[in-house]
Amino acid sequence: MNWLLFFVILFKAVILSTGGFGPLPMLHADFIEQAWATEKQFAEALAIGQIAPGPNGLWVVSLGKLTGGFYGAVLAGIALVLPPFLVLITKHFYQKLSKYPATNGFLAGVVLVVSSFSILVLGDIFLQDSPDVFLVLVCLFSAALAASRKCSANRILVFSIVAGILFYGA
Amino acid sequence: MVDAINVNKKISFYRLFYHWAYIGAVSFGGGAVVQFMIQDKFIYKLHLLTEEEYTEIIGVGQITPGINILAYTILIGQRLAGWRGSIVSVLGLILPSAAITVALSSVYILFSDLPAVQHALRTAFAAILGISLVTNWRNMKPILRKGQQAGIIPIGLLLSIVLVTAILYQFLHVGVVWLYAVGAFIGALTYIFMEKNKK
Repeated sequence: MNWLLFFVILFKAVILSTGGFGPLPMLHADFIEQAWATEKQFAEALAIGQIAPGPNGLWVVSLGKLTGGFYGAVLAGIALVLPPFLVLITKHFYQKLSKYPATNGFLAGVVLVVSSFSILVLGDIFLQDSPDVFLVLVCLFSAALAASRKCSANRILVFSIVAGILFYGA
Repeated sequence: MVDAINVNKKISFYRLFYHWAYIGAVSFGGGAVVQFMIQDKFIYKLHLLTEEEYTEIIGVGQITPGINILAYTILIGQRLAGWRGSIVSVLGLILPSAAITVALSSVYILFSDLPAVQHALRTAFAAILGISLVTNWRNMKPILRKGQQAGIIPIGLLLSIVLVTAILYQFLHVGVVWLYAVGAFIGALTYIFMEKNKK
């Protein structure tokens, strides 16, 4: 494997996209073209990214591991970490422009879009799985627990996993 | 609002690394859970950020390339401990979570077909959606509160961003960049309107 090309492709996909799953289309096209990954490896990397701790984007590290071994994972990690540092430049310009109401309104609008969009995307994935009443109740109960601030996210996840295994059977 | 990401609150690098490493190691469930834990720790438990400050950080982080949560981490780290703080924070978040991801990649394939694993993943995703509802509501709350205080027209315009996003995404399948553009445009108009009415 050409490690430099591997890194460049990973870096390009991350820097030209936003969000955890943003690099997916570009990486998919490039990795399949280079015959570095199979569809199955992509599906597995995405599934692992979903259950692993940390940001969603770590599925790229999993893809690096599945396709390039340990060095692939390390290069993917570096490619993920570097682009977000551009936020320091964004912040620099934001500080110059933040005195204008339009700038703050611009950001407020983006936050409202991102927040509602996130709910829509996750809701779509949830509905595609044809959820039954039990899963809807788990979702609502988890939301209520999270809103109460009396239960950590991990406890909610553990409760839900145990409930799922008990309800559906192992 | 500029102070929100410019103030350098004192916290040791060790403590900062510890807090981020904790989130990185235990935030199973993806971005929604990471965000929930960031809010929980830095806003509600440590009181190092306010809801408004965090909302502003999200806004700046969102218009930057790459993984947004890493951008938030960099901004929070810089705010709390300068540029070294931003590096310490990113390393703290990414090192444990990447290590666990690599380990999971090695063992996942062995167990992925077991029914119990499939049931667990389905139910966990339902819980993640529930947590995400709360996390995203918390992100929107300070903005909507501000609009509500400014009157019926501003809150109406801000709520229209949520509604327009839903319609454009669900029915017209508009790309996310266009959604950002529409939301940012309505948001800018709303804040200009609020400023003019204040005077």
